[in-house]
Amino acid sequence: MEVTIKQDGNKQDVVLNGRIDTTNADQFQRDIECLMEGDKPEICIDCSGMEYTSSQGLRMFLMLQKSVMARGGSLVLKGMQSQVKEVFDITGFSSIINIQ
Amino acid sequence: MILRFEPITSRCGEIVEKLMSSSDMPTGKDLRFKIRLSIEEVVENIVQYAYDQGHGWLEAETRREGDSVVIILRDAGTPFDPLAKPDPDITLPAEQRQIGGLGIYLCKQLMDSVKYTYENGCNVLTLSKRG
Repeated sequence: MEVTIKQDGNKQDVVLNGRIDTTNADQFQRDIECLMEGDKPEICIDCSGMEYTSSQGLRMFLMLQKSVMARGGSLVLKGMQSQVKEVFDITGFSSIINIQ
Repeated sequence: MILRFEPITSRCGEIVEKLMSSSDMPTGKDLRFKIRLSIEEVVENIVQYAYDQGHGWLEAETRREGDSVVIILRDAGTPFDPLAKPDPDITLPAEQRQIGGLGIYLCKQLMDSVKYTYENGCNVLTLSKRG
């Protein structure tokens, strides 16, 4: 999993590439830790290169969503591949996270 | 195909890869995605929680039954039925959603059947999927 973060004030553009699974979930958590701080963040994550996520990845997205809501910000996931989207649908995450 | 892993600590990724390379597995990308995810969730649970001291074994079998692939996972850890836990409420708003607890639910949703038995001192989890 490769995480690229471009920050401009409270705007954060993130690009994810690869897989989030049991082998790299801890690394992914460390990679996105910087998104968990700051007021009113506007986070946009390009998920078009994310090929797979296990429940460990979902856990991070939920943590991020909760953190963003608590700070009065916004989180958008864009370009999700259909198989990954299905995982978000099955778990009800599609209705609690803004997926475009 | 029957594979035995011992020890299993930190080997979830490798166990999943070996199972997915079995010739019993379907070839379609979508099916493989669902099977891989289901296997990863249950194997991760076993690796993390089955054995108190972390030392133990996992036997993984794949076979074809009719038009389905069947995956059987056996361990001699603490007796534990992962299917006994109630499903998470997926209709709750984000503030009320619990972090975690989705792995087994995903497996149940993605596979055609998931069964648990305790046999001869072993936890036996049997997953099946057409394809």
